[in-house]
Amino acid sequence: MTRSPRPSRGSWTVRLALVLVGTVALLAIAGPALAPIDPLAQDTGNLLQGSSSEHWLGTDYLGRDVLSRLLAGAPASLLSALAAALIGLVVGALPGALSAFIPRVGEWLALRVVDALLALPFILFAIVFAALLGNGLVQATTAIGLLIAPGFFRVSRAATLRVRDAQYVEAATLLGGSAWWVLGRHVWRQVAPTLVVASISALGSALLAVASLTFLGIGVQPPAPTWGGMLASDLGYLAQRPEGPLAPALAIIFTVGALNLLADAVRDRVGMVTAHARAARPPATRKESVHV
Amino acid sequence: MTLLELKDLSVDYGRVRVLAGLSLSLRAGQVVGVVGESGSGKTTLAKAVLRTVESTAGQVLVDGRDITRLRGAALRRWRRSGAVQYVFQDPLRSLDPGVRIADSIAEGLRIAHVPAAIARERVDAAVQAVGLDADLLPRLPSGLSGGQRQRAAIARALVVEPRLLVLDEPVSALDAASRDKVVQALIALRRGRGEQLGMLVISHDIGSLAAMSDRLVVLHRGRIVEDGLTQQVVAKPQHPYTRRLIQSVPVIDIRLPNRPAPLARS
Amino acid sequence: MSDIDLVTPTAESGFADVTASPTGVTLNRSFDEGSVVRPAIAAVDRLVLTAADGTELVHGVSLAVRPGEALGVVGESGSGKTLTCRALLGILPSGVSVTGGSVRVDGREFTTASERDWRSVRGTRIGAVFQDPASYLNPAIPVGAQLAETLRVTAEVPRTKAKQRARELLDDLGIRRVDLVLRQRVAELSGGMLQRVLIAMALAANPAVLIADEATTALDVTVQAELLELLARLRRERGLALILVSHDLAVVAQVCERVLVFRDGRVVEGGATSRVLRAPGHPYTRSLLSAHAAYGLERFLR
Repeated sequence: MTRSPRPSRGSWTVRLALVLVGTVALLAIAGPALAPIDPLAQDTGNLLQGSSSEHWLGTDYLGRDVLSRLLAGAPASLLSALAAALIGLVVGALPGALSAFIPRVGEWLALRVVDALLALPFILFAIVFAALLGNGLVQATTAIGLLIAPGFFRVSRAATLRVRDAQYVEAATLLGGSAWWVLGRHVWRQVAPTLVVASISALGSALLAVASLTFLGIGVQPPAPTWGGMLASDLGYLAQRPEGPLAPALAIIFTVGALNLLADAVRDRVGMVTAHARAARPPATRKESVHV
Repeated sequence: MTLLELKDLSVDYGRVRVLAGLSLSLRAGQVVGVVGESGSGKTTLAKAVLRTVESTAGQVLVDGRDITRLRGAALRRWRRSGAVQYVFQDPLRSLDPGVRIADSIAEGLRIAHVPAAIARERVDAAVQAVGLDADLLPRLPSGLSGGQRQRAAIARALVVEPRLLVLDEPVSALDAASRDKVVQALIALRRGRGEQLGMLVISHDIGSLAAMSDRLVVLHRGRIVEDGLTQQVVAKPQHPYTRRLIQSVPVIDIRLPNRPAPLARS
Repeated sequence: MSDIDLVTPTAESGFADVTASPTGVTLNRSFDEGSVVRPAIAAVDRLVLTAADGTELVHGVSLAVRPGEALGVVGESGSGKTLTCRALLGILPSGVSVTGGSVRVDGREFTTASERDWRSVRGTRIGAVFQDPASYLNPAIPVGAQLAETLRVTAEVPRTKAKQRARELLDDLGIRRVDLVLRQRVAELSGGMLQRVLIAMALAANPAVLIADEATTALDVTVQAELLELLARLRRERGLALILVSHDLAVVAQVCERVLVFRDGRVVEGGATSRVLRAPGHPYTRSLLSAHAAYGLERFLR
């Protein structure tokens, strides 16, 4: 009797996560258009005000409408997180899968490069990157992307290794299939779900990373609003307006949380599928010693 | 016409000689059963014929061509030509669980860029040859029984129109009912393809081998100790190991001559 | 109920009349010669086993094994043969429970016995070996140490004597180079050797009956023959009773004088092996015999 796989949190979680992430995505695209007031307009008579009928989330230290800045800053933060995750995926996933097929020496080298990248402290790397290549959002995004890539490499490689030794891959090889055939026909199918989960998680991490960098002032071009930048400046005026940092902080938390929820829900789904596949396999019968 | 010939084939794994000087020949239209227990080298024999393992000495001749020195692109070309095909022991592992049966069966043809129309014909022919129901084609492997899966795996090997089919423990992973279906399918296949196909069946189970094979070859510790017609090898084994093997197989009929009596008091 | 009742088993003495009953099919009680004087060591009577979700897995099975006899149990996986044996050892999987009938050891009621009660008979009255020997041993420790541990715990052999006793046990089983084997770990030993070690462990405390559940199924046929010969010798020399469980009717036919045929949680046929083979009553038994006729070697040997 096989035990059924752990029940997922329910498909309602996936739907909820999709709704949340969908909202955020909408903001990323349409944010600035939805802003009620020009995010750069300074209402000097209304500095650091709490919420009012005119400014729903109040104003910042220059009298600018917080809600508008939040909405205007959404694309910058969200799209650069997306770009960073994509860079990571492209730079990491394919080499990771291929590393399962190259001869030993190459494999060893590739793994050591990946280990080195994983060992780098990310903020330091980003600062150095910015110092060398200029303090722009593009540079910051690229830096984050490069540092996310090793994670994708590992995930992709692990998933590919599992498949590489499968008997149906051997069968395809015996039919004359090349490594590329095997990758496209058999490996991709098994690796893709894992990559989807990894990508969603990476998006969350990337967003946090972008927010951290813009918080530190890397990659931000004032006066353009970014969530991390808003958080930084709001913290400077805590005494005058203690609830100031809440808006950008909650925006970040909400988005990262929604992404993680989505990643978990998708992981459960993928897990259930693989668990069913594993349960369909008959128990291994151990024969005498080593099969020769 | 000799389809497969092994000439003094030896395979070493490190310092261990797993196969030692094997000589064997198989003609088109023959079914040869190789019986071996654990450690006999039977799996290595299959791998040597398929070139998934390097042989240390001797030759493997398929249709007169020595395949032992093939490498890389030449090896892939030879494989795509489909002269020798292989059926694995466990169809649950040898079929991609995410690929439809029809696509799995057609895989060899797609790799060889065979036009879709011809491929379709060959798939239908192979499916018929193994007695598989065409309704099962759109399904995933999980939607088939063990016997159906194994027949699908055999069909996959057949579509590339091999001259030699190597089957490694084709029925060992199956329950009794499925085993029967697959053995019957192989016998029918043999009758249908007759002179065009040779089969090399490797197994530890003499019973099912004897049901399918014209000849039995007994492998013991990397050497062939007996090679003869099935009836001869079972009824009049020459080599002491063969005798021991035959006598070890449990029988039900206690009135048989020259058999030690069953151990029970009856 | 006295032992005499047990001794007229319902299923073994031939496939006479069949009567349907609420607990399933029961076969007519008939007398089994010679059975009156030998009380069963272990028995189940009209055993009903139910899973946690309420499905009945075994529907009223009766089985008894008497001193010195070899009882064969034949059936495919899912037929209930393994569950019945587990009931005889008190090791039913979690979720499966006895919901009808009784389990007895030495005539004593064991249907609701505690773990402590079972421990008093496991190994000392009933021993068992199962299909995959490697999975019953610790791969990191030499097998000799594990055998010695069994001797200390089950047979209460003092620590100082355990190693010597382990040597003797393996020697009794016909193993040469005993000292070498004792030092080996699981990965270094063949399946046949491992199974011999497990048989030694099962017999360490001299039980009266050994249950061998598919013990030779995963082994080479020559090794199987050796082990079956070993079991026959143990019966002759020690009067060991045997319950031999297999999906292979021929294996059972080699060793056992009586056989029970299981199917879908019921005993569909039972009786003396020679009678069951010669004149099978139930269609399922007949199908097993014809399957054997197709794949056995008899047709070449006539």
